[in-house]
Amino acid sequence: MNDIKTGAAQIARPNQRPELAALDDATLRTALTRMHLIRKFEEAAEASYMRGLIHGTMHLSIGQEASAVGTTLPLQAQDYILSTHRGHGHCIARGAEPKLMFAEFFGKETGYCKGRGGSMHIADVEGGNLGANGIVGGGLPIAVGVGMSIKAQKNGRVCMVFFGDGASNEGAFHEALNMASIWKLPVVFVCENNKYGMSMDIARAMAVANVADRASAYAMPGHCLDGNDLAGVAAVAREAVARARQGGGPSLIECKTYRWRGHSKSDRNLYRSKEEIEEWRAQDPIRRLEDELKAHDRFDAAALMKLEEDAQREIDAAVEFARTCPDPDPKDLTRDVYAI
Amino acid sequence: MPVEVILPKVDMDMETGTIEAWHVKEGDQVRQGETIFEIGTNKAVMEVEAPASGAIRRIRAETGIAIAVGTPVAWIYLDGETQDAAPAAKPAAMPAPPPATAAAVVANQASNGVAAGAVPVGLRATPLARRVARQNGIDLRAIAGSGPRGRIGEADVRSHIAAVAAPAPVAVDGAAATCRSAEAPADTLKPFSAIRRIVATRLSESMRTAPHFYLTSEIEMSAAQALLRRLAARHERLGAPKPSLTVLIARIAAGVLGHHPLLNASAEGEATRFHERIDIGIAMEREGDLVVPVLRDAGTMDMPAMAREFARLREGVAKRSLTPAELGGGTFTISNLGMYGVDSFTAIINPPQGAILAVGRTVEKPVGRDGQIVLRPMANFTLSSDHRIIDGVTAARFMADLREALENPEVLL
Amino acid sequence: MPSELIEAPAELRELSYAEAVREALAQAMEADSRVFLFGEDVGVYGGAFGVSGDLVHRFGAERVIDTPISELGIAGAAVGAAITGMRPVVEIQFSDFVTLAMEQLVNQAAKIRFMFGGKASVPMVVRLPGGSGTGAAAQHSQSLEAWFAHVPGLKVLQPSTPHDAKGMLLAAIDDPNPVMIFEHKLLYKTKGHVPAEPYRVPIGKAAIRREGTDITIVGSSIMALKAQAAAARLADEGVSAEVIDLRSIRPIDFTTIAESVRKTHRLMVVYEGVKTMGIGAEISAMIAESEVFDFLDAPIVRLGGVDAPIPYNPVLEKAAVPQEDDIFAAALNLLRRGEA
Repeated sequence: MNDIKTGAAQIARPNQRPELAALDDATLRTALTRMHLIRKFEEAAEASYMRGLIHGTMHLSIGQEASAVGTTLPLQAQDYILSTHRGHGHCIARGAEPKLMFAEFFGKETGYCKGRGGSMHIADVEGGNLGANGIVGGGLPIAVGVGMSIKAQKNGRVCMVFFGDGASNEGAFHEALNMASIWKLPVVFVCENNKYGMSMDIARAMAVANVADRASAYAMPGHCLDGNDLAGVAAVAREAVARARQGGGPSLIECKTYRWRGHSKSDRNLYRSKEEIEEWRAQDPIRRLEDELKAHDRFDAAALMKLEEDAQREIDAAVEFARTCPDPDPKDLTRDVYAI
Repeated sequence: MPVEVILPKVDMDMETGTIEAWHVKEGDQVRQGETIFEIGTNKAVMEVEAPASGAIRRIRAETGIAIAVGTPVAWIYLDGETQDAAPAAKPAAMPAPPPATAAAVVANQASNGVAAGAVPVGLRATPLARRVARQNGIDLRAIAGSGPRGRIGEADVRSHIAAVAAPAPVAVDGAAATCRSAEAPADTLKPFSAIRRIVATRLSESMRTAPHFYLTSEIEMSAAQALLRRLAARHERLGAPKPSLTVLIARIAAGVLGHHPLLNASAEGEATRFHERIDIGIAMEREGDLVVPVLRDAGTMDMPAMAREFARLREGVAKRSLTPAELGGGTFTISNLGMYGVDSFTAIINPPQGAILAVGRTVEKPVGRDGQIVLRPMANFTLSSDHRIIDGVTAARFMADLREALENPEVLL
Repeated sequence: MPSELIEAPAELRELSYAEAVREALAQAMEADSRVFLFGEDVGVYGGAFGVSGDLVHRFGAERVIDTPISELGIAGAAVGAAITGMRPVVEIQFSDFVTLAMEQLVNQAAKIRFMFGGKASVPMVVRLPGGSGTGAAAQHSQSLEAWFAHVPGLKVLQPSTPHDAKGMLLAAIDDPNPVMIFEHKLLYKTKGHVPAEPYRVPIGKAAIRREGTDITIVGSSIMALKAQAAAARLADEGVSAEVIDLRSIRPIDFTTIAESVRKTHRLMVVYEGVKTMGIGAEISAMIAESEVFDFLDAPIVRLGGVDAPIPYNPVLEKAAVPQEDDIFAAALNLLRRGEA
């Protein structure tokens, strides 16, 4: 379901930069659809929250769609991802069904985690999504173990783990990168650097300029990217995934991006300026890709509009589906504490 | 909640201690760590510090008397806590141990379980001991615990049962009959009822553990009789029951007891427990059994209220509708057998109370008044006291005040 | 045949506790290629307490893996391997170091199954050498099992004999949940009968080590042994003590304890962990809440570790945790042979 061929269609596209030329139309349609789905999902989540349909808080990734979609484009169906508290985008990029995500979000028995996990713990184990994580850096050591599994089972898979700029200051980051590197594990570390750990500016929180600079301490490639450039992200991810799959060991990719919304629903944006937010909104990863595709006549405006409208329809239907689903029964509260 | 100040264990083998001196008085503000009293053991005098900061209240231990280790001697009220509102004020008040009269235990059996309030406060017994006692209708207060600080264990209850209950079955089996002469006519041997067994146990226990002594006063009753006549008219206007002599005596005794705290007290281990409230038990008969319903807080009742309460209790006894709590836990008892023509008698103290007042009939007798022999209604009052806590002079002062009050009842009412 | 007669019958074969653990690891790895062992110095060094011994030579460095000194990474790697089809067994060199791995054990391992609505399981085993008595002082001598017994989703074992050490480890490796096994360091050299063939000791079932009628003494790990020694001395005093070896503190075999207390009417709980808020509190409360309350004929007694870090000085170290003499004296006290 997520078997996107990237780089396979090397048709002559002389005027396009190689990163864009490497993506065929079908792949681009998939990528655009996923980015729209993410954007619409987050907007619908926000609206549902305001209408009181959502119980807890949530961490929206509007503005970061190219990072989630671009890095996962080269993954194959059997590959794994590990996600973060800002993880809705990763789920959708990995091919999760928005209606089951909304069901989870609304705490329903039909949700991905039967209403037990909610926004911060959406997992789709069968679909290769080993779960979002409420702990900053929580997924990083787990990715090491997944890499050990892959290596022991010799099944040729790859594990991609997402984390934020804040997590790169956790001990878990350093332990995980070191272990993955000494054992040459098939892991791709993807840092979505959206500039703030809640309110803490990464420039004030980190001793080096870029998270990717830290890769050299663990003898792995470190890539520092424009995270709002889908084609650029996809190109680097393709390289890192291939390296992992071929036994070359882990890579660290840093996607510099920005979350348009606050850290969570209670954020009053006291630590950043309106101007800064506006600057980044101008770098909208979806509009940038659409403009570039129109400029090169890869898609016309109507075709692009249709992709967006289809995505909106799917999200609307997903919300409707989720609202009508049954709540869990309190008698099942402790059902899944232990496996039997 | 107010913080309890206990008499602490300050020496290894110490079971009781004596407060040599209080460094604070009722209502004083104390800081945590400040010395509040000195405690004497058989080896040394130790200072005891306040366990919390606040106002010291309800100081309830006198100096110079032996107090069991762990006994609360005062409470520290934190800011904003009032004596009435604070929940801990209730245990602090140490209500007299409630039921455990014979009837109370019977009532418990009927309801198949002891109500929470039915287990005497301050009595130490293990859950298993309580369970076994409950199942066998045993009053734990009749048992001396062999454990630390008098804790009653299962073994104590079992040996009590063996000691108390065993003779009855033996007798019923006819085993006892073998000791009797073959020519003797066949007697009827009726095992004790549960209530009789308990009365027997408790009164035996009382005679065994409380050294009784008796004081008798012959008191003129004319003023009391005159007052009763006047009150009868007043009660009728108020719709209250006609007052009986027993009620008047209870009312007057309650007033006098207020000035004689040792008569409203109980021996407890090697300490005297002074009861805050005056709860007067009135001995009554019900189908051959003795029951003692209690006029609760008698010191605060006026005559109409007491007459009403007395009537309610008497009716409740007849109808067996009283709760265990209403049938036990007095702090002083009055037994009036005058209506049966008894001139005077001595009563056995109802444990753990310290005294009981036995009232004989009022009869006109020739007495000397101003050099003349005149007839006056006279009655004999006999006080039985527990000599462990009450001395002869203490009891005599009480009787003197009782006489004064009965001969001039208006003063107290 | 004469040669067969010379060999001792299998059931009389004696192994040390450490050998029994090693035999379980070896048999599990022989039987199941998913099982692998990793931790600090478990390879050629043979483990800090010699438990893994020569396993690296028998199974190779790919299945007996030396790790960096990264407890969080180790625990996380176990989680990752477990959720992707492996059966990792990790060793935390001293149980004290588990403090560095708490995040992965408490937030991830224990909760993943529940958070994901029962759609994942975490079949991992963590072995933790712990306890005092070796002069290793405050940071290498703790008994932290109660911490983990407080976490739904984890199982916590404390085998006291070589027989149970092997049987419970094999049961733990079979178990589909994260299992923490606390092995008291002083037990590693103790010897006992250990059958040669693989066998399982059920998790969550206590063992009555000695039957008695006057008092129930509950303990686990080394305290179960001390309780048995004290019980033998109590017998000389005419006291019949029943000794229950908990073996598993989560799940806990409340039924066996309750039935015993119903019979003996007295309960003493002995544990090396700090007394306050410990295992003894839980067992005492369970009895006090249950119908067995009515069968108590004495206050419940807890004998636990002193509320202090484990000291270095050997006299102090002994005084910091319950010893056989303490159990003996406390039992006599409880039976009112002394002052309670």
